[in-house]
Amino acid sequence: MSTSDHGHDTPAPKLEPVHGPGELYGLLAQYDTPGELKDAAKRVREAGYTQFDCYSPFPVHGIDPAMGIKRTILPLIIFGGGFTGALGGLALQWYCNAHAWTWNISGKPTWSIPANIPIAYECGILLAVFASFFGMWIANKLPQVWHPLFRNDKFTTVTDDGFFIGIEAKDGRFDAAKTKKLLEDAGAIAVEECRLDPDPASKQMPKWVMAMIVASTAFALIPFAIAAKARNTHSSEPHIHIFPDMDFQPKYKSDTAMDLFADGRANRGEIPGTIARGWLEADSVFYTGAAKNSDGVDVYTTGFPTAYPDGRTFAVDGALLARGQNRFNIYCTPCHGYDGQGDGMVPRRVKLRGGLWQARNLAEAPDAQGKGGVVEQMPNGLVFSRITNGFQTMKGYGAQIPAGDRWAIVAYIRALERAQNASVEDVRAEDRSKIR
Amino acid sequence: MSYPTKTLHPDEKIKAGDLGKKISRVGAGIAVVGLAISLVLTMSSGADPAAAGHVSKWSRFLHAYVIGWSYIASISIGMMWLILLHYLVRGRWVTVVRRLCEAMASAFPVVWIVGLGFVLPVLAGNKDLYYWTTDAAHDPILNHALAHKLGWLSPGFWGVRYIAYGAIYSGLAWYFAKKSREQDESGDAKITDHLRVVAGPGMILFAFTTCFLAFDVLMSLLPKWYSTIYGVSFWASGCVGAFSALALLVLYTQRTGRLVHSINEEHYHDIGKWMFSFTFFWAYTAFSQFMLQWYGNLPEETVFYKYRMFGDWQWMSIAILVGYWAFPFVFLMSRWTKRIKTTLVFFAVWQLVFHWIDLYWNVMPNYDWSVHDGLNVGPLAGPIANHHVGLSGVDVTVWIAMIGFLLVGIGRNLKGNLIPVKDPTLGLSLAHEQL
Repeated sequence: MSTSDHGHDTPAPKLEPVHGPGELYGLLAQYDTPGELKDAAKRVREAGYTQFDCYSPFPVHGIDPAMGIKRTILPLIIFGGGFTGALGGLALQWYCNAHAWTWNISGKPTWSIPANIPIAYECGILLAVFASFFGMWIANKLPQVWHPLFRNDKFTTVTDDGFFIGIEAKDGRFDAAKTKKLLEDAGAIAVEECRLDPDPASKQMPKWVMAMIVASTAFALIPFAIAAKARNTHSSEPHIHIFPDMDFQPKYKSDTAMDLFADGRANRGEIPGTIARGWLEADSVFYTGAAKNSDGVDVYTTGFPTAYPDGRTFAVDGALLARGQNRFNIYCTPCHGYDGQGDGMVPRRVKLRGGLWQARNLAEAPDAQGKGGVVEQMPNGLVFSRITNGFQTMKGYGAQIPAGDRWAIVAYIRALERAQNASVEDVRAEDRSKIR
Repeated sequence: MSYPTKTLHPDEKIKAGDLGKKISRVGAGIAVVGLAISLVLTMSSGADPAAAGHVSKWSRFLHAYVIGWSYIASISIGMMWLILLHYLVRGRWVTVVRRLCEAMASAFPVVWIVGLGFVLPVLAGNKDLYYWTTDAAHDPILNHALAHKLGWLSPGFWGVRYIAYGAIYSGLAWYFAKKSREQDESGDAKITDHLRVVAGPGMILFAFTTCFLAFDVLMSLLPKWYSTIYGVSFWASGCVGAFSALALLVLYTQRTGRLVHSINEEHYHDIGKWMFSFTFFWAYTAFSQFMLQWYGNLPEETVFYKYRMFGDWQWMSIAILVGYWAFPFVFLMSRWTKRIKTTLVFFAVWQLVFHWIDLYWNVMPNYDWSVHDGLNVGPLAGPIANHHVGLSGVDVTVWIAMIGFLLVGIGRNLKGNLIPVKDPTLGLSLAHEQL
């Protein structure tokens, strides 16, 4: 390594006098153009050298055959990656959907190839890209943070306009003088010896790098260690709160104390001139299904409201039943089923997984002793109230379904009961002969 | 990065000479014989057209005609697209084969005239090809779903659009070929710059035109059906055919001793790459269309697949999946299948056949007009079992006649220089190399 005759202001390696000139790594030859580089590479290859490489700022057309480099096997690696990904994607979906956790979604099959193609395709692309990216790293021996040629000052131009050939000393044909002559004959504008750093410490990884690797590896294991500990021990300590401001929000809930206001309450009273939700719902039967009787006791109505709040007449007619059927089919059928017998998709899934829960049969008629047929025996107002407020496992639908539609559903439930407990007398006399 | 360049080989034969005349003559022979056999077959046919809901025997001939015409039109259109793309992205490798591409794209006027064979009957009141021309289609009760489409699908307006398509494709092809030949004389590099500017709006025009052509000619055979990706799929399938045809045309030109020094395996490799990518892209669009309609399960969309997924046609669907996509996809993926001429030619011919099968699969299930009633009475009704693939001789002879017409169209344009000798990208194209 002879940096002194360059005239650069880069200081010469300071350790050289202490450790001697350093082991010869090889010869570095610079060429003027990509064409000369290619010709030189060809001559070096034809001279029988194998341990050499070309360096250029950009890919040079035809350098691979000039250097005698075989075609990369990267495409095969990518194909393998893509194929594995596609099959793996299919296998994943089969395992999740059709094997480990079969789940009835609207009666669709759990295993269906067309539906699985997009995921398989994406997985195929993903692994093909990974194989391409990391395969390229491995094929190019990356990541390589340092190379002996970096010690040569001229070599810095390799990212700009320099074209180089480096022949390593470990090549069987390497002979400092002959090799130099070959490179010069091939048109090199400069040939320089390149030596390894003579300091023995340079051959080892710096201690601080090792320390960083060990420390970061240990650090990365901490979450796993905590999770493992938590799974295998009992503790009376409270949870670790990773996001305390989410767990303990700076707010007051209703009906709690608060020092800020004179009355010491977190609640603020009604603001003058405003009306709270529900205050305008004066028609008790229409909005709750019940009205106070003469004794001041709430009694559920057995009939229907007589008018809508806006003054229209409330008529139990075909239009109301059609509306009721429409709303019922949207909101009620998932549990109660289309016929109201309690055999909707949700109870079916429960049964598939061995559960016993079943939705109420809305259409059931009471037997001679008056048992069963719970809904049929309820006054209309109570059915309305159950829809509004919910009952047992059923949540209230008051917030989702407007009151008028809830009454329409009540009417439709009555129609379902009537239809499923009909007798011959319900059929028009002239049509009875058609029944077999 | 510096690109290597080369100059034209001094011994290169670049004059077309009698090449075009030969191709035209063979094409004319094929077309005349094919058409004559088709007419004889149609007139002597014993099949009962009423069984499929039609009035005359010509219905089958017209359906076959639409398939064959779409086949040659899509090939010509596909090459127009390559020319536009070449200028739009400052392409280089195409330059050496561009005259051949231009010849294929410039075949469109001939293709357009041939298309009058099914357009004129429709304009003259034929009600056996397009369901939207029938009286039943205009029944507002029976075909409520069609009522709002009949303004667009009226023979007069449809015919006007056919004229527009012809003008746009022919105009684009003519303009690009003309300017390129002007450059052969003047050597003016500005012509290339100019065409690069034209290619941008040209590409947009091309995209819309191709989409609407596919809607009007092919998709309106099943007028109650909806698919927005249909035009893309038609174009992608057409490009598979176009690049396959280009490979064969280049090879034949070299067989006659022309361009032997200029076009080498590097260029074949690129043609093969396009065959490969459009094979995949076609499958991608076709699957996108299928996937959404199958999953959405709406009757006005699934009607298309209902008649192709069950009965006889499902075997053809599977054959297309395997033959048009899986098999060529796996083999064209390799570098060597594209560089060895034998394998490239094999797949070019293979894909050209399957391109026709794909169009056949698109059109022929609509031949039995119970498909249109199927949508009226419900998504699962309709006699699927009656739908047979039922390949008839006319289907094939019309197709062959159409190939003849395409050859006539191509041959007409093979004259003068077969290579754009003064194109500024020619040197780069000659030295083209796959990294």
